[in-house]
Amino acid sequence: MSLENMLLAIPLAPLIGAIIAGLFGRQIGRAGAHTVTILGVGAAFVLSVIMLKRFAIDGAEPYNASVYTWLISDGVKFEIGFLIDNLTVLMMTVVTFVSLMVHIYTIGYMADDDHNWPAHSKAGAPSSYQRFFSYIALFTFSMLMLVMSNNFLQLFFGWEAVGLVSYLLIGFWYTRPTAIYANLKAFLVNRVGDFGFLLGIGAIYAFFNSMDYATVFAAAPAMAGTSIELFAGSEWQLMTLICILLFIGAMGKSAQVPLHVWLPDSMEGPTPISALIHAATMVTAGIFMVARMSPLFEMSTTALVFVMVIGAITALFMGFLGIVQNDIKRVVAYSTLSQLGYMTVALGVSAYGAGIFHLMTHAFFKALLFLGAGSVIIAMHHDQDIRNMGGLRKYMPITWITSLIGSLALIGTPFFAGFYSKDTIIEAVHHSHLPGAGLVYLMVLAGVFITALYSFRMYFLVFHGKPRMDEHTREHLHETPWVVTLPLILLAIPSVLSGYLIDPVVFGDYFNGVIHVNPANDVLTGIGEHYHGPVSFVMHAFGGPAIYLAIGGVVTAWYIYMKNPDIATGIRQRFRGIYELLINKYYADEFNDFVFAGGARGVGKLLWKIGDSLIIDGLIVNGSARVVGWVAGMVRHVQTGYLYHYAFSMIIGLLLLLAWFVFLPGGAA
Amino acid sequence: MTGFPLLSALIWLPVAGGVVLLAMGAMGNTASRQTALVVSIATFLLSLQLYTGFDMTTSAMQFQEQLPWIAAINANYHLGVDGISMPLIILTTFTTVLVVIAGWEVIQNKTGQYMAAFLIMEGLMNGVFAALDAVLFYVFWEAMLVPMFLIIGIWGGPRRVYATIKFFLYTFFGSVFMLVALIYMYLESNSFSILDFHRLPLGMTEQILIFVAFLMAFAVKVPMWPVHTWLPDAHVEAPTGGSVILAAIMLKIGGYGFLRFSLPITPDASHALDWVIILMSLVAVVYIGFVALVQEDMKKLIAYSSIAHMGFVTLGIFLVFTLLDNSGGVQGAALGMEGGIIQMISHGFISGALFLCVGVLYDRLHSRQIGDYGGVANTMPVFAAFMVLFAMANSGLPGTSGFVGEFMVILASFKANPWFAFLAAGTLILGAAYSLWLVKRVLFGDVVNDNVMQLEDINRREFLVLASLAAVVLLFGIWPAPLTEVMHASVGNLLEHVSASKLPAETGLALMGAAP
Amino acid sequence: MLLSDFIPLLTELFVLAMACFILVLDAFLPDERRVVSYTLSQLTLLAAALMSWSMLDNAAVVVMHGTFVSDPMAALLKTSIFLITFGAFIYSRSYLVARGIFRGEYYVLGLFAVLGMQVLVSAHSLLTIYLGLELLSLSLYALVAFNRDSAEASEAAMKYFVLGALASGMLLYGISMLYGATGSLDIGEVSAAVAAPGERSIILVFALCFIVTGLAFKFGAVPFHMWVPDVYHGAPTPVTLFIGSAPKIAAFAMAMRLLQETLGGLMADWQQMLTILAVLSMAIGNVIAIAQANIKRMLAYSTISHVGFLILGLLAGTAEGYSAAMFYAITYALMAIGGFGMIILLSRSGFEADRLDDFKGLNDRSPWFAFMMLILMFSMAGVPPTVGFYAKLSVLQAVIHVDMVWLALVAVFFSIIGAFYYLRIVKLMYFDGSETEEPLAVSADMQVAISLNGLAVLALGLFPGGLLAVCAAVFS
Repeated sequence: MSLENMLLAIPLAPLIGAIIAGLFGRQIGRAGAHTVTILGVGAAFVLSVIMLKRFAIDGAEPYNASVYTWLISDGVKFEIGFLIDNLTVLMMTVVTFVSLMVHIYTIGYMADDDHNWPAHSKAGAPSSYQRFFSYIALFTFSMLMLVMSNNFLQLFFGWEAVGLVSYLLIGFWYTRPTAIYANLKAFLVNRVGDFGFLLGIGAIYAFFNSMDYATVFAAAPAMAGTSIELFAGSEWQLMTLICILLFIGAMGKSAQVPLHVWLPDSMEGPTPISALIHAATMVTAGIFMVARMSPLFEMSTTALVFVMVIGAITALFMGFLGIVQNDIKRVVAYSTLSQLGYMTVALGVSAYGAGIFHLMTHAFFKALLFLGAGSVIIAMHHDQDIRNMGGLRKYMPITWITSLIGSLALIGTPFFAGFYSKDTIIEAVHHSHLPGAGLVYLMVLAGVFITALYSFRMYFLVFHGKPRMDEHTREHLHETPWVVTLPLILLAIPSVLSGYLIDPVVFGDYFNGVIHVNPANDVLTGIGEHYHGPVSFVMHAFGGPAIYLAIGGVVTAWYIYMKNPDIATGIRQRFRGIYELLINKYYADEFNDFVFAGGARGVGKLLWKIGDSLIIDGLIVNGSARVVGWVAGMVRHVQTGYLYHYAFSMIIGLLLLLAWFVFLPGGAA
Repeated sequence: MTGFPLLSALIWLPVAGGVVLLAMGAMGNTASRQTALVVSIATFLLSLQLYTGFDMTTSAMQFQEQLPWIAAINANYHLGVDGISMPLIILTTFTTVLVVIAGWEVIQNKTGQYMAAFLIMEGLMNGVFAALDAVLFYVFWEAMLVPMFLIIGIWGGPRRVYATIKFFLYTFFGSVFMLVALIYMYLESNSFSILDFHRLPLGMTEQILIFVAFLMAFAVKVPMWPVHTWLPDAHVEAPTGGSVILAAIMLKIGGYGFLRFSLPITPDASHALDWVIILMSLVAVVYIGFVALVQEDMKKLIAYSSIAHMGFVTLGIFLVFTLLDNSGGVQGAALGMEGGIIQMISHGFISGALFLCVGVLYDRLHSRQIGDYGGVANTMPVFAAFMVLFAMANSGLPGTSGFVGEFMVILASFKANPWFAFLAAGTLILGAAYSLWLVKRVLFGDVVNDNVMQLEDINRREFLVLASLAAVVLLFGIWPAPLTEVMHASVGNLLEHVSASKLPAETGLALMGAAP
Repeated sequence: MLLSDFIPLLTELFVLAMACFILVLDAFLPDERRVVSYTLSQLTLLAAALMSWSMLDNAAVVVMHGTFVSDPMAALLKTSIFLITFGAFIYSRSYLVARGIFRGEYYVLGLFAVLGMQVLVSAHSLLTIYLGLELLSLSLYALVAFNRDSAEASEAAMKYFVLGALASGMLLYGISMLYGATGSLDIGEVSAAVAAPGERSIILVFALCFIVTGLAFKFGAVPFHMWVPDVYHGAPTPVTLFIGSAPKIAAFAMAMRLLQETLGGLMADWQQMLTILAVLSMAIGNVIAIAQANIKRMLAYSTISHVGFLILGLLAGTAEGYSAAMFYAITYALMAIGGFGMIILLSRSGFEADRLDDFKGLNDRSPWFAFMMLILMFSMAGVPPTVGFYAKLSVLQAVIHVDMVWLALVAVFFSIIGAFYYLRIVKLMYFDGSETEEPLAVSADMQVAISLNGLAVLALGLFPGGLLAVCAAVFS
């Protein structure tokens, strides 16, 4: 099997699975559906691993070639093609692995999907299961197209395609008003991001006349000086403009403030996709994209600072919200937002390696946490409120252990994956010389404490303390089937071990020639100099505040929620204002609904009623018609029927002619 | 002209079919349906030969036919197609087949006349695209109104009379001024050949006046803001088939007119006034986008979205001058125009499909009000799948043909002026907003009332129609190259032509300078 | 006075002879044999048409001491007058029969009117013009009052007569002044005198005003149009049909003889006068037509607006313009008989079918006739592919050619308003439900006539080349 065919097979295998499960779901039945899709994704995973070995370990030269020509215009080729290098293979492996896990997990999670549908809905029982598998396989295809792309066109295709699938999956249970509100919101907010993204691509086309990464990156340095005048008299650095526009796209996909509002609501979707799409893979597309574009971003300090600040804000302020949530999935969702913030910060300080590294570790442990939460939800008969849980650890040991591992990894416990990735980011910010890096450093540190706090608040409330659920539920509490727990275990492993890849991935030469960093901005090498293996890295960490903050967070959580819970209520009373602010998510939704959704409808109504109906139609079109009719009505009365009137008018007419032509000198030509 | 007169066949075969149907008014509905189907399919198959036999390397007119017609005014029966008109003819024949099938058991009243009207209109529309003689063009252009006038008026909704008369007079208003312009040019060139008009040297003032005359005709057809208000009414009242033809083809004739007449005949005026068109187009994209958002009637909503999408056509076409000026050469100016043309064809499929979707619902519940629906996906899952696909295509999702044109035009407009792109790209949000909000309210949610509960999913006939449209929408989304290839030569030639001023050098420059 | 002098008058003599013969014969025919005089009249018209058509290519000859000219224009116009009248007679028959007024007088009067038109068309002396005009008018007055029992008709005839007399008087006054100024009645000599260099003589312009007034009345151009709606409305439909068709052709000829041939020297002046008349006619005609509920009145106003268009061709003052106007006159006559014929077709004894609402739901009652009416209406609106479009096209072409683009714009603007009321007829026929269940009883000749009429309008719209060429040839 030639390299080309293998690469082609990687995205196509899931696609074929999706098509079969989607179009012939009813014929092949549930088993058939999950078999074909799992086979497809499995194949993609295996091939991705082979590719990982080939490129990352055997160090093959990056592969960059086009598959077919989409169209040609102005002599510019718009192509579909693959760029396979260390970054790509890493993403491919992560995506296919998590996806595979989620596929398996879904067999268990969706087993009793029927009760999520009203009996009368034809869309429920007979086909929903198959449809779900079709969607997630389709998602895998789209995500692979996105990461494997070697040009902006295909990037945008994948970018929108994952958005589409996300839309379909958030609204999977479309009989639920909340779900279809959430998916519309998600799509539109993402479109706001894509609006910037597309303009960015437009700018690139306008100045580079190419959609091809390689060409653009090669030509970029020459454009360093270029600037365009957007407003009269204000010159913009071209690169700054392009990067910020592209990053707006990333803000949509990776849910950065202020385009973060869609992600928490996306939890309306079934848990497996919360894990796959809204934690592990799709939301990290923005991070991947910026890393991919490092040669461009490196050319604009302004853009980098912008990225860093947005990231920091997201990291900290979304963390706060995690503390007050009571829906188990939403807690994880906010932690995802905040972790995405960390990755973005990493990009901002040019620590792309660290960003990608955190992306990978996060993919594992966050998927783990979500699937764990899903497992709990199954056991709780789809009750998601952590206030009704507690003491689950003795009922579902595997879920408990794995969730613990996940949480530890998340808060950055030494020797866990999350520790290495997150600590590197914090270090990187510390070393950065970007304006504002100092403040950002404090923010990310504070983030560590917050992360630990909300993670373990949830952990304790769910797994420890005395059970708070009702009798009926408790009696039926038991560990979930193997299809659910197996993925948990399989994900727990990398959640611990993937941290040790820090050697090659972050400090090694893994990203040489893939990610471009200006020597001036290069913080990682700086840190790399003091790096002597993972153990010493931990030792070195004890010199820094992060680790203590994490511990502090855990302790606080334990004290408040386990030791004497009434403190929590006390605090809530004391700082009601802040609490309200947090519980209402800074009123971001209210603001958007009123200003944007409401505003748009208002403008629409105005333009329609006033512009179209009143002025154009009422006044001009029908108005002129009415005038003609009115005139006709008037003039017809001249026709009196009286003979002498007629004769009179003839004579008048004659006299006028005479007057005009005979008596008026020069009347005639 | 050698061999089989393909274009004549494409024009007169359907017309003849229609006449037969009229003559055999007595013959039963079934018979007339079948006849109509046979004729339309035959025409479609014939039209495919245009593609297979098309020579992509030349910009010259192909499949030409020329016969003397009205010696007194030197008007000839002159037909021919190039890379711009050929795809539109195939679009016409394709859509007509679907319309015939879509009207199958829906139209019980005067079926023969209904089918006849569509066949005759198909012939006339092919004529418009194929005519290379101005009188011939105008005859087809005007004659086209008659069947559409009847279709809306006879088989339309409650306010059909108002809508159809408005439609007729609006369009008539636009075109009579074009007629004056055509006569004027005939007197200048002593020929009604459009190709002679292209070569006709004209002063700036003449060009401006002629350009304005054409603008009146084509802007109404497209329709461009602010002369668009006939479209929502016409669409709402027209029977499904009428809406489909109206949206899929009739609107395109406006865009085609700009390409065939305005640009090549009055390049300098077009250059001087392109900002007007661009402005109107951008207003259409944004203003109409907002208006579409608040529609309560599904057909009105789609009608408005059509206007917004046609904004991309005119925008793409008239970006050409800015691009020519910026890039200083023909190279680099084609993207917008090709994007515009692709948008025309793609919009033909998508808007047609959406109107058919509404038709499917209307046939069942006899309501177009969004409020009367909700949770349709529960009772009509297959239909829902199609409608979601087309709604996504309508909001320009990559992988569907709806994306291609908009993408090209937005890229081109950024090249011309970032702010154009900024406004045009607004459709990304607005388009998604009104399309998907429609989907949310109609398809999703739980079943809202018993009527929806009773709904039957689409039958084989409806499936066939929607599936074939879905196929082309996806095909051209994934691989639009076949479309662009056929038009390269013609577009390139057109660019060459418009880049050369018709004016004596110095006045040319002076007036160019005067233009914003 | 040689025999050869009479050759060019062949058709006139023939029609005259036949008219007298039928008049006498009819007196001896019992009522049930009335059809004989009808048939004879029709045969007369056909034969005359053949004769004049055969003269089409003859060079112009002036005979009868310069009072009578036979030229291609005359030949063509006479041919069309004969054929139009032929059609008019066919339509009239079933109407008259149904109402028991199927009498020979109608046809005899008709033939005399035709004779009047012939004279008018071939006039080469101001006196001949007046002679023809009066013969025509008197016959028409009588025809309008043909249905003795109808008060409406008598009133219409009354008005028509009085106003007509007034108009003739004005015309005659103008002519006499021309005579006074030039000392001749021969068109050739007068035109030479008028064209003679020298500053513009007031007396001639004075004469011109009166002559134009007379013409305008004949045409029914605003502001000399008042008689048209009342006469069209009051007269029995077959008479309206007749008045509304052939005489327009004659009027065109009269205008040619008087303005172009006689007063060509004053073109600058009459061009302006006609411009005023044309614009007024198009405006008033189209606008008021909208407000009509009676289709005969509506068609009357539509005639006025068409006259406006026709005059556009005349005022261009070029060969192109004249042939355009001629084409317009002939094709309009064709449409007019069709339009009025359709009213007759729908009507029956005691039911005139002259309200717009009487056309409701025609498509349900008879798709074919509805289709014919559709063609006629779109033709009058000037929508291709019907002949009405080319009529408008060629007159517009003519005015634009003489750099009167503004006039063309005015014309098309009013044609948009005009389109509305023609569309309304189509709307009634196709979109509305029928008011009556009464089945249509249509005689065979009627069916054939209306079908041929409609198809002719369509066919001439698809292939107008021939007729356009003939009209152009006349003036080349």
